Amino acid sequence: MRNDWDDDRLLGALRQALRAREAVPSWFIETGRNAFAWHNIDAELAQLTYDSNEDRLQATVMRSETASIRALTFTSAHLSVELEVTGNSLLGQLLPAREGELEIHTRAGEISTTEVDEIGCFSVDPIPESPFRLRCHTADGTNVLTGWITI
Amino acid sequence: MRDDPHVVALVTRASGGDQGAWHELVDRYAPLVYTICTRYRLSNHDIEDVGQNVWLLLVEQLGKLREPAALPGWLATTTARECLRVVTAASKAERLGTGLDDSVLFVDDAVIDEEILVAERNAALRAAFAELPPRCQQLLSMLLSDPPHSYADIHRELGIPVGSIGPQRARCLERMRRSSALAALGEGEDKIDIRGGEPGA
Repeated sequence: MRNDWDDDRLLGALRQALRAREAVPSWFIETGRNAFAWHNIDAELAQLTYDSNEDRLQATVMRSETASIRALTFTSAHLSVELEVTGNSLLGQLLPAREGELEIHTRAGEISTTEVDEIGCFSVDPIPESPFRLRCHTADGTNVLTGWITI
Repeated sequence: MRDDPHVVALVTRASGGDQGAWHELVDRYAPLVYTICTRYRLSNHDIEDVGQNVWLLLVEQLGKLREPAALPGWLATTTARECLRVVTAASKAERLGTGLDDSVLFVDDAVIDEEILVAERNAALRAAFAELPPRCQQLLSMLLSDPPHSYADIHRELGIPVGSIGPQRARCLERMRRSSALAALGEGEDKIDIRGGEPGA
């Protein structure tokens, strides 16, 4: 307890505390508040295990060569999600192959859905401009959520 | 830092799905996360990106936090890691262009540790302030505004006789000192430099 602070010291400390809060932009607070929408999402999280951009950065440093296609892989215990950007669309496949439905969640909070065919393939077109994540519900009941993706 | 019972309750309620408790947690710790981002001199765009990741990670961790007292430390470390990821990526991209620049901004752990202490002290002070009667909050806000209001202004706005402003200020601050929110502050607080009284400090 701050019994030992005199009035001026306490008031000075309070000024600092209130200013520190005022310095935080409201959009930053909103971002934090909105994150709660992801609380208790009933899905397995799939981690990013491969990103061609990482490879390309290293390859360019070594060989001055660039790959033309962006490829990403997300992996969870039961399913991996392979993604490839070609032109304006994003093609993907669930492995092992599963039929189901795919939800595209953008950071702005929009959700769209697309079908996953019987060999596990799907396409996302157009590619969202803001960061997005994919949630896959397969016919056998597996429910997987990827990390955030920026293309 | 002692376990602040208020923070423990917020974490428990938020992990049980209470959105209001989550909002309070964000309000309480947003200055900590934001300040660390500014230490790394990130652009607003990158700050938003880092903020998104940090809060989303916290949402996923809520039920697993065994010691809510460790929350500020966890937030600070996670924010610093995310900031470093952003500056490292930017530096890599730059290196591709010029083949030269390898300057990545590192922020010392000691700086982060101090930010944690300052953030905890500030949060406790704001909580103690929020517990004051509205009358005290108005008076102290007017005294703390930049530039500060004169006693004549305060008399006009709040109707307090000029001669009573000093004694009322003292009573309000005494109430703050006795508040349970300040009691949660640990012993490490005395090590922090308090720049008392200076406007904008």
